[in-house]
Amino acid sequence: CSIISEYVFSLPLTPQFASSFSNESALPPNLLLPTNLVDPDRLKRPPPPADSSLPPLRKCDAAVPAHLTPVQTWVESLERQDSEPLGVAQLHPDVFAVPPRLDILHSVETWQRNYKRISHAHTKVRSEVSGGGRKPWKQKGSGRARHGSIRSPIWRGGGVSHGPRGPTSYYYMLPMKVRVQGLKVGLSSKMAQDDLHIVDSLNIPTPDSQYLLDLIRHRHWGESVLIVDVGEDFSENILQATANLKTVNVIPAIGLNVHSMLKHEAIVLTLETVKFLEDKLLWHDERYTPLYPFKLPYSDFP
Amino acid sequence: MKVLVPEVAHYFRVALATPFHIMAALFGATVLRRAWLGPSSLCCRTPGAPVSAAGLRFVSNAAPEDNRSPIIESTEEYKYVERLIPSSRIPTPPKHTGPTPSGWVPPADSPPSLPYMIRRSRMHNIPIYIDVTNSNRKLTLIRKVEGDIWALEKDVRQYLQEVTGKELPTQVNEVTMTLKVKGHFDKELKDWLVSKGF
Repeated sequence: CSIISEYVFSLPLTPQFASSFSNESALPPNLLLPTNLVDPDRLKRPPPPADSSLPPLRKCDAAVPAHLTPVQTWVESLERQDSEPLGVAQLHPDVFAVPPRLDILHSVETWQRNYKRISHAHTKVRSEVSGGGRKPWKQKGSGRARHGSIRSPIWRGGGVSHGPRGPTSYYYMLPMKVRVQGLKVGLSSKMAQDDLHIVDSLNIPTPDSQYLLDLIRHRHWGESVLIVDVGEDFSENILQATANLKTVNVIPAIGLNVHSMLKHEAIVLTLETVKFLEDKLLWHDERYTPLYPFKLPYSDFP
Repeated sequence: MKVLVPEVAHYFRVALATPFHIMAALFGATVLRRAWLGPSSLCCRTPGAPVSAAGLRFVSNAAPEDNRSPIIESTEEYKYVERLIPSSRIPTPPKHTGPTPSGWVPPADSPPSLPYMIRRSRMHNIPIYIDVTNSNRKLTLIRKVEGDIWALEKDVRQYLQEVTGKELPTQVNEVTMTLKVKGHFDKELKDWLVSKGF
């Protein structure tokens, strides 16, 4: 419950009503809501139940642990704006139903921001400022304060004593497994909050941007959508449609990262992208520590 | 020894019609003299002038000799390289019934019906680790817990109470899903978890 609960928490409520621990949302009896209020969660299709009898369009390739069940989602189509879902897909729980480690998400996001940062702030020290080699006046007898150079930090125009000494690099690397876990946590969080959508392929009928915007508005996907596909060849229609849109973006699957996932409200994956991500992310759970860098050939590298 | 270009050019114009051996005679003297002087006057040798000890050599742009055996590329021997490249994935252990000679016990086929689950590490071992800080603080760490961690904490405390007779302090971290117990109890806890079937 998004809009209604936000409304509830914004009102000055007594503690007995602000119950985030009770099962039902306790609304105060004198709450006045506008009648044309649209709650997207009520309009959205509920996810398929775990024991649905529909045959899944896609099953997990890797073995699912015995104590976990695969996550089930609808597979939709982008062909028509109001088309029904094509079927049900099963996703691996170790990628799409991982416990929500927000600390890992935070650390990966700050790493993504900072590791590329080079700050070019630079100030000159008293030895670098031009001039100031000579003692301005003799030590004793002139009546003025004693000084050794005209560029000392206490002088106007002098050097800065403890300023930035750039360029400084803020490069550091998080362990590979932490970054991989960050991707898994991001995908799981999007899935848990119903912001992940699976699509069979990215074929749209027209290269018109307005078609995509209408589709997103109709399905209540959110304000911004990140579309992910495997491979370098994308259909011309989707590329042209998203070229001029700022909030809808298409990226290849190797470009998926936590910052983009957090920046966009909804994420759309194709079935091949799901297979690719599961292969790559689950390999880290069962791999050896690298004998030599992974860039060099291994016999069963994913 | 400098080659006088106009004279040589004259020889070329004349030598077009002459047969090979006469051309050889015309050029042979100069080339031989150059070869004789070559080792003694290395410093004043004209660069780019091809000198051969054998004698006659024509500066021509003829193609390299084509009567060598052709280079054959074969990729069938690559299979001997391929089978040496190591694997990057840890293999699943072979099927054992009961404990192995090393003491390793495989997990049960179906997970036990408890409110919590403890997964095996990537090397298929029980995830219980020992830590010592400041040479006197002992800790036992249980990682990779899923499900109700407080139920596991209660069971661990009760089991260690039976084993040692002491109430041991424990710490539960719900974010990382780990459990710390004061003291070294890795052997006891590992046997206990194996007996449960994790």
